[in-house]
Amino acid sequence: MSLRRSLLAVGAIALTVGLTGCYESSDVTRFEPGQYKGADDPLLAKLEDPEFRAELDQRFEGQRDR
Amino acid sequence: MARMKFLCDADRCIECNGCVTACKNANDVPWGVNRRRVITLNDGLPGEKSISVACMHCTDAPCAAVCPTDCFYTTTDGIVLHDKDLCIGCGYCFYACPFGAPQFPTTEAFGVRGKMDKCTFCAGGPDEPGTASEYEKYGANRIADGKLPACAEMCATKALLAGDGDLVADIYRNRMMSRDGRPQTWGWAKAYGAGA
Repeated sequence: MSLRRSLLAVGAIALTVGLTGCYESSDVTRFEPGQYKGADDPLLAKLEDPEFRAELDQRFEGQRDR
Repeated sequence: MARMKFLCDADRCIECNGCVTACKNANDVPWGVNRRRVITLNDGLPGEKSISVACMHCTDAPCAAVCPTDCFYTTTDGIVLHDKDLCIGCGYCFYACPFGAPQFPTTEAFGVRGKMDKCTFCAGGPDEPGTASEYEKYGANRIADGKLPACAEMCATKALLAGDGDLVADIYRNRMMSRDGRPQTWGWAKAYGAGA
């Protein structure tokens, strides 16, 4: 009887350990179509700065033909 | 607000590939990936034309429309960027893009696609500008430094123009007024709509 219990216990442990490798995380990221889900770009805030915009525009103006 | 656009003046492009080299150098683009390339039409024949092609940062970007993970976003300036942390390398954007802009590094075995790489208008990605992680993933963020994209800035003949659409169009219009022939704003109608 005790041998049977021991075998059952060992079997249960082996099953638990074996199935651990089969675990798959159910914590998935769900994406809604058409909506950006990534990180915020700090550049967007910088582009709103009028001083920075003026600097950028001045640089772009340098492309004009002389 | 500006709408950033590229325009390649086919009458001025001399196929030097300086833009390609500048892009590769500025962004440390991996082997096998060409964010920008020069295409020559009627190569070797009289009247051949060369055009420098990269992501055109479309107004209604088809790559963004088909992306299953919605990793694309458009800045207030109209620059189309993407988050490589979300990209799964499915390649849908490659099939959707009319300019062949999305590139995939194939450094892994069995041709497994890596995360998509494309021209960022030298505006980096959704990381802190100027950081090592941004540079590693997206390349240089020259826009944050108040500079032009490296390709346009490097162009010896000023064939490749980058910047606000109004400015670019004005420069090109002035050139056309001193030239014969019709304007050839290659790719503009497809990228920015029929009225562009």
